Amino acid sequence: MYRQTIEKQTIQEIKEKMEQGLLPQWILTDPSIYEREQEKIFARTWQFLAHDSELPEPGSYVTRWIVDDPILVVRTNDGEIKAFLNSCPHRGTMLCTADFGKKKSFLCPYHGWSFNLNGDLIGVVAGDKVYGEEMKKDDWGLRPIAQVAAYQGMIFATLDPDASSLEEYLGGMKWYLDILLGRSGGMEVRGLPQRWVVNTNWKLVLENFSGDPYHVQSTHRSTVELGISPKDPLYAGYGHQVVLENGHGINVITAQGQGRPERPPYQGLPEEMWPLFESNLSKEQLRVFAKTTVFVGSIYPTLSFNSPVHGSEGHLHNYLNFRVWRPLGPDKIEIWSWFMIDKAAPDDYKEDAYKGYISSFGPSGTLEQDDTEIWTRVAQTSKGYMARNKVLSYNNLLNYLMGFERVLPDENFPGPGIAYPTCYLDAIHRATHEHWLELISRD
Amino acid sequence: MNTGLYYEITQFYYREAYLLDARKFEEWLEILTDDIRYRMPLRATREKKDGSNIVEAMTFFEETKTSLTTRVKRLGTSSAWAEDPAPRTRHFITNILLETVSEDDKLTVRSHFLFKRSRAQDVGTEELFGERLDVLQKSGGTWKIASRTIYPDQTVLSVMNLSMFL
Repeated sequence: MYRQTIEKQTIQEIKEKMEQGLLPQWILTDPSIYEREQEKIFARTWQFLAHDSELPEPGSYVTRWIVDDPILVVRTNDGEIKAFLNSCPHRGTMLCTADFGKKKSFLCPYHGWSFNLNGDLIGVVAGDKVYGEEMKKDDWGLRPIAQVAAYQGMIFATLDPDASSLEEYLGGMKWYLDILLGRSGGMEVRGLPQRWVVNTNWKLVLENFSGDPYHVQSTHRSTVELGISPKDPLYAGYGHQVVLENGHGINVITAQGQGRPERPPYQGLPEEMWPLFESNLSKEQLRVFAKTTVFVGSIYPTLSFNSPVHGSEGHLHNYLNFRVWRPLGPDKIEIWSWFMIDKAAPDDYKEDAYKGYISSFGPSGTLEQDDTEIWTRVAQTSKGYMARNKVLSYNNLLNYLMGFERVLPDENFPGPGIAYPTCYLDAIHRATHEHWLELISRD
Repeated sequence: MNTGLYYEITQFYYREAYLLDARKFEEWLEILTDDIRYRMPLRATREKKDGSNIVEAMTFFEETKTSLTTRVKRLGTSSAWAEDPAPRTRHFITNILLETVSEDDKLTVRSHFLFKRSRAQDVGTEELFGERLDVLQKSGGTWKIASRTIYPDQTVLSVMNLSMFL
């Protein structure tokens, strides 16, 4: 399937530049790189499909994508989550075009084959009369996705039957997901994910959430001008940037400069919820959670999250926003953005938090509007001759030198991973891109 | 149907489109009531038996006069990058249908919108389209928008942001 269009020598040259804290710009939107990413990265890693609360009862289903593969995610009568290629195995028709719903079986409109929630072929029009009794229905069930697993309600799948388990893949990230998702006994998705399309590359939006608190004070300066965000240009840098395995990373931002007033603990969540945190989290997790204002990071390769604190009209509130950066090509993505909130939160708190999300993130968000503008501009400058020149004679090398060989890990940080005592740092970016290179270099 | 009223409402919408496209956002705020509810629910693809394809629980806009004012103020800063340099926009408002004219001072109006946008040097244009359901209220002799619900037709928006008002 894969055509050898990137020479070993080129890979070696990218590696050498990355060892110096530099990244050739051409790799962002190069079509041959994208082709390789599809096979070496997207088809082999764990991809987020849905949150448990989106499939409330037997027969609930949602339709999703793993890049270009349409995926049907269902809850079976036993309550189990299954995922299939959303395509009739008879002649390939997309089986279900609705975004979500509830069904007992799926009927292909082309020739009328039907499938139950377990993916078994249960009905063939004129069955034995046209195919004979020798037809083995077991051979023609829906094609299951190689592996499906969930962690803290987050349902993932991988197309690779040989991929290591989800838990092994998440590694140290699980510790942080426990705080984000498991702190109060579970989260719920509100409505549907918002979806929109942006002309940019998945790697650059991933890195924006993975390890780029540095962009906040410039990209989102309009909110500083309005007095919504703090004036201290370092505020998004206070805290720890944590490099995790498999390209994952998280910023645990305290936004707490020296001599500044204490922020309320636990992201300003209602005090009545604190006992839940104490029963669901370890002492070390509580210690980190208590001091944190924003958690922002990514689960490689296409899932990012943001758990901020916003104030609107006098109230502080926190929510959890997950987003999938679905690649649609080397320079196009579809963003899927889910609003999640603690099931245990009071109803009026949930409502305020949702309004806070709408005002800040998503396509209309006063923060995110400017993100997509800038992500588009990076992609636009990556396609020219100078940027595409692989021998780099025009020096189109991007700068990932912040804190390079200068900032040492904080050994006392209680969470897993390599934690650096600042979030204004390119440590996650460098680690993520090194992981990217390792994946695309594999045979 | 009172053709005078229909003409008045049509002119009101054309005037509103002018204010938005001419970037007179503060003047636009003035034609909204102080207790306006301004919403844009999501559209979903659903099977007929499952009910409405409008998802009220999640929106693209869930605004009050205060939050809309904040959005307008943001456009007045020196760093609203998505809107400065300003994209060129056109609001095409058609199919204006006066749904209920129950009281002299209150109207429910449906309209269709086609929004087109040209950003920077991009040769391609962006568009959004759908329906709006408004409640208009007359006070002191002028019409104001007391409620607006915007129903986009796309489930996946083909615009890079919603930095506009619809």
